[in-house]
Amino acid sequence: MKKILLLLVAVFCVSVPVVAQPQSEQVLTVYAYDSFTGDWGPGNDIVKAFEEQTGIKVNLVGASGAVEMYTKVVYEGADCPADVVIGISDSINVDQSLFLDWQPDCMADLSVGKKGNLVPFDYGFFAFIADMEYFKDHELPTCLEDLTKPEFKDKVILIDPRTSSVGLGLLAWTVNTLGEDAAFDWWKAMKDNALTIGDSWSSSYGLFTEGEAPLVISYTTSPVYHALYEGTDRYQAIDFTNGHVKTTEYLGILKTSKNVENAKKFCEFVLTQGQEQIAVANTMFPANGSVELPEAFKAALMPSRIVEYDTDAFVEKTNEYLTRWAQTMVL
Amino acid sequence: MKRELFYSTYPLPGFMVLLVLFLVPVCMTLGQAFVVDGGFSFSLIASTFTDPYYLRIMAFTLIQALCSTLASLLIGLPGAYLMTTYRFPGKRLLKTLYTIPFVLPSILVVLGFVIFYGNSGFLNKAIMAVFGLKEPPLRILYSFTAVLLAHAFYNFPVVVSIVGDYWQRLDSSCESAASTLGSKRAKVFRTITLPRLAPSILSAASLVFLFCFTSFAIILVLGGGPSLTTTEVEIYRLARISMDTGRACALSLFSMLVAVVVMFVYSAAQRKQNHGEALGNQNVKLERKPRGFGQHLGIVIYLVFSLLFILCPILSIVARSLLGNATRSGGLTFSLAAYERLFAAGSSNLKAVAASVAIALASSLLATAAALRICTSIARSNKAGVATDVAVMLPMVTSSVIVGLSYFIVSKYMKFMPPFVLVVLAHCVITMPFVVRTILPVYRKIPENLVNASYTLGFGARQTFRKVIRPILMPAMLTGMVFSFAMSMGELNATLLLGTTSMQTIPIQIYRLISSYNYQGACALGCILILVCFVVFFISETLKRRSYV
Repeated sequence: MKKILLLLVAVFCVSVPVVAQPQSEQVLTVYAYDSFTGDWGPGNDIVKAFEEQTGIKVNLVGASGAVEMYTKVVYEGADCPADVVIGISDSINVDQSLFLDWQPDCMADLSVGKKGNLVPFDYGFFAFIADMEYFKDHELPTCLEDLTKPEFKDKVILIDPRTSSVGLGLLAWTVNTLGEDAAFDWWKAMKDNALTIGDSWSSSYGLFTEGEAPLVISYTTSPVYHALYEGTDRYQAIDFTNGHVKTTEYLGILKTSKNVENAKKFCEFVLTQGQEQIAVANTMFPANGSVELPEAFKAALMPSRIVEYDTDAFVEKTNEYLTRWAQTMVL
Repeated sequence: MKRELFYSTYPLPGFMVLLVLFLVPVCMTLGQAFVVDGGFSFSLIASTFTDPYYLRIMAFTLIQALCSTLASLLIGLPGAYLMTTYRFPGKRLLKTLYTIPFVLPSILVVLGFVIFYGNSGFLNKAIMAVFGLKEPPLRILYSFTAVLLAHAFYNFPVVVSIVGDYWQRLDSSCESAASTLGSKRAKVFRTITLPRLAPSILSAASLVFLFCFTSFAIILVLGGGPSLTTTEVEIYRLARISMDTGRACALSLFSMLVAVVVMFVYSAAQRKQNHGEALGNQNVKLERKPRGFGQHLGIVIYLVFSLLFILCPILSIVARSLLGNATRSGGLTFSLAAYERLFAAGSSNLKAVAASVAIALASSLLATAAALRICTSIARSNKAGVATDVAVMLPMVTSSVIVGLSYFIVSKYMKFMPPFVLVVLAHCVITMPFVVRTILPVYRKIPENLVNASYTLGFGARQTFRKVIRPILMPAMLTGMVFSFAMSMGELNATLLLGTTSMQTIPIQIYRLISSYNYQGACALGCILILVCFVVFFISETLKRRSYV
């Protein structure tokens, strides 16, 4: 009996420090997608600057891709430890009632409008990025249809729209430029032609920079990162004749937050002082128009044609599209 | 009478663990497959099992498991032959090597594979450097081949161990007789040895099939894309991403069904195997020195192949943890950055290490305590014992993805349970059957007269158990606990499905780091897991030598 008691005490002693992580009211929990929180993402620098300025501790949690992150928030419901969620893209079907109705002081400076209770923090255009090292002696594709050709067999990395907002964006891009049926024909052709269909932007873009394939779906602004940090123009966005679609990423404060004042401060910080970091490390156009873009942003491609589409209508049909997509890709 | 009372009450807490922590949650989960809009209905089952999309996934799961099993047999059987027939230097090392995949978590297999076999992995780089190639010659990753290869790597040692052990104990007089009567070696093998080996091959094959059928991390990372999705990955996706738990439960039902069928095949093969063992132990096959060039060559090839196949991915993890790139596409240089970041105070990786150790400690203690109690019931080999034996097999064949899903579903009704406790309990259920399997053989070998002597000398059942039986079991209990600790340290599937943000364990952190392409960080954490495996291995080998029976 004594031994069992000892054992229980031992287990207890070990588990207490783990279970009872110091969750004082001051600590703000922020969910963001993995590439935001990762080593090369803007998250850590923004958090550090914010903590130094305000003294508020921030617990930044990488919650996988944007879609999985949103699902997590829904599942956790009232128990969700997060106060702020960063990185919900406009192609995700969002339940607005989860979020607090809130307006930042800098709203007037933002070049994109709010979506329900969510506030935009950056935007960009989807594009395929090419590794010019490979395309020195190969011809670049000029439109989506080109990618299905045999010369691009195993040369393209795509992203799964069921798990990633970039994948979902690509689906929106194809559906809204090629037309619904042709879009799924395109995906069917790409099923064999693509090297792989990754489950998140970070894993797919990582594959690309590791040199596994010379083409990847990303944003027109992605080359900025390489120009800025590596001083190289090896990676270039390609202007497609189909036109490009825009995507906006939003942040929101959860209604269940017990830390609303600090959460607001953090969001305000991301939308003002954090914007440059977002432009640079997240390599997207900052939503705040008053931010001066670094020189390297000249490397970003401004698409010659932008295709406008009704995001609300797309979001409403997302589930239907995803079912059809899964059937197209698996059967 | 009092003895009976002790033996019927002592295992009760173990049964409770089995019932409350395993059967109830899993049955609740499988039951959800029959619930549509709060009422009983077959519609979810019917729609899942007729939808061509899910049918295709189920078919693919079976096919890949079958192919992986064949591949493991193909690589493993020659090994079993060499190990039982010849005596050669390096054999002990090889035997030790073959136990590595048993303790190696699948997330490390994945990591090692990506780093070693990847398009820009060590192997391709080496070949490109040697032959001056511009493009990587081996394109293994993100394909069916990658999955098969990883599964074979993980499982061929299982075949070598199970079939080899059995072969070694097989009475060789039949073969000798046939040879004397003039049969050729090949004919003897085909008509006598092979049929007699069949039960052991079948039991190895069914075990490997089960591992491959429920494989998760390997498919998730190495599969690459929706066309290589298996049931387990789809269950995870449905539950965690599409928020369709009902459908996930319906698919779990299929997975469970297959697992139970395989379990019966395995038990049948085991029974036959035990029956065969009883036949002869006198004429044990003698190992001989290899003769001639061909035999030497065969052994050398197999030795080198095994070394490369098993050690290279693991060593690349260690090597890669010391190589870093400063930017997203920068070149690799030597750096200790990953370790600095790992051991920086308050880093998320350090937290993951602490959490993993705490979880593994708590769950392995719990699992061993429960396993010991359950063993007392099984070892009695009455009706209740046989029933318990089967019941204990169930959590072993249930995939950890389903255990995770079950706990995820149950957790919704038990909001007061801290996530730490849920993870510990899930790990306890997953590892307990293995602890039972470690303790039971030793328990069964305890001589009856030892126990009787204790009774005669005046000890009651309780005292006999404490003073005679338990001390004998101690080394086995420790071995079991250490293995349970290692399994819990490397457990990814259930923890990922449970998906509590506050519980980041080492394997989850590694998975996240792989996903965000931080190989160096992933490898640094991976090295910690490798270290744990080695320590566990060392302890169990030491204990083996000290065991009483």
